[in-house]
Amino acid sequence: MDRLREEKIQRFEEFVDRRLKPDLVRAIAERDKVFEQQKVFSDLRKNLENLEKNSVTSLRSMVNLGSEVYAQAEVDSVLTPKALHVCRPDTRHIFVDVGLGFHVELTWSEALSIIPAREEKLARQIEEYTRLIAQIKAQIKTVSQGIRELLQLPTE
Amino acid sequence: MGEPLKGTVTPLSSVFAPEEAQKASVRVQETISERRKQVDQLQAFLNDNNGLVNLVKKLPDQLHHDIMVPFGKAAFFPGRLIHTNEFLVLLGEGYYAERTSKQTIEILKRRGKDLESQIETLNAVIKDLKFEASFFDDTAIEAAEGIVEIREDYVDEAFNEDEPTKGEDDFARILSRIDELEKEELESEIAEEHEEEDKADLSHLISLTSLEPEGRSPEEQAKNEHLMSKISLQNHPQEDVPKPVKPKDLPARPVSKDLSSHVKVPTSSGSRLPPSLVEHNKLKERVSHTPVPKNEKVSTSASNSGNHSSRASVVAPVSKEVSDFDSSIGSDRSKAFTGSIVEHTHNIENNNQKGQMQAPASKPVSRFKMQRK
Repeated sequence: MDRLREEKIQRFEEFVDRRLKPDLVRAIAERDKVFEQQKVFSDLRKNLENLEKNSVTSLRSMVNLGSEVYAQAEVDSVLTPKALHVCRPDTRHIFVDVGLGFHVELTWSEALSIIPAREEKLARQIEEYTRLIAQIKAQIKTVSQGIRELLQLPTE
Repeated sequence: MGEPLKGTVTPLSSVFAPEEAQKASVRVQETISERRKQVDQLQAFLNDNNGLVNLVKKLPDQLHHDIMVPFGKAAFFPGRLIHTNEFLVLLGEGYYAERTSKQTIEILKRRGKDLESQIETLNAVIKDLKFEASFFDDTAIEAAEGIVEIREDYVDEAFNEDEPTKGEDDFARILSRIDELEKEELESEIAEEHEEEDKADLSHLISLTSLEPEGRSPEEQAKNEHLMSKISLQNHPQEDVPKPVKPKDLPARPVSKDLSSHVKVPTSSGSRLPPSLVEHNKLKERVSHTPVPKNEKVSTSASNSGNHSSRASVVAPVSKEVSDFDSSIGSDRSKAFTGSIVEHTHNIENNNQKGQMQAPASKPVSRFKMQRK
């Protein structure tokens, strides 16, 4: 009788350790990733708002060419006709990543309206992950409770 | 044969348990794959580095480059690269250096060299690990087969001591039979050759066969002087390797052995040497074989001894090339000189003393002088 119980306990423990805990870890990792993405977009939004507020038309930055070798880059708002090369310096248009390797050329105002929508979607994903994590945690709790009960009974 | 020889028989599986050997092999394989991954990673870095070098080379060609300037992680601005000859390079720990294109390329090239040397060391490590793994595999297989290691005490006269190395009994047996036959031939020829005493030839031969021109003259003189006195001295260092020693040939044999050692010592090549020596001195050499215990990796070298009666102690090496060597030597039977064959320890000695070629040449001389006195 005792042996049977011990076996059960062992099986439960293994279940917790091998399936539930890694699941929990993975879910948390995924949620963190989404968090980061959300942060990226919110930063972008804030910057854009700043730029607009200060009516910044030109900016300079350092571009990473790879292996941390930087080169100076400049963006100058130029009111040139659209016939010219696409990549003329232009702060009025910004290319926003919309997933799957696509970037959409938008004006600032359009970008400022799109980005919050994106952020909302990310927030919903985060919520889902949170629910999943909570589920896994609950499962772990139930199993450990079961183990505890099994352990307590023999002592009684 | 027929003398009771003392020895121990140890089954290999007791020394190396096959399961453990397999486990060890698996562990080594894992380490090998880890190292391989690191090598791949480094290789990727190296490729990136090379790509960057090309880019940095091309940028100053234009005053401005139209590019998409990243703004955060998810947006780009159309913009331009300006100051195309100025680059900011990260040196580590938050320190940057502003450099021109050429200087940046130099920095990147130095980094590339560093990466390459790292890759090379890792590759060497992987090679070593591979050897280890193959050793473990072989040991596991052999232990599983129940191969037995037999060690027997070295007895001086016994030329048929058998120390069968792992799993090569058949080959050893065949070799021993060949050796016996050759021994008989040798005995008959020794009677003929007893008349020839060619010390002059000795030096000539030595000069031909010695690969150490510098050590030659002292060697020659030493040889000519101390031919006979070298006997016992040379015998001792090589005692651990069984040598076929016939009582009647004792005086002559050690001499030739000395000569062989003399010739051998300065030479750096191991078992490769004997065939080449034989070829060089075909006319003047003759290697006589005496049946000999088959030790592992005994190198044979044909040395010229002016003394006819040189007995060649052939410790038949396990490798096949020696058997070929034997056959070629057999054809040279009728020549004047017999070669003596030096054992494996010499090999090690030679390899160790590759950088000290001169030392062996001088040492025997002094030793003999001491012996004389």
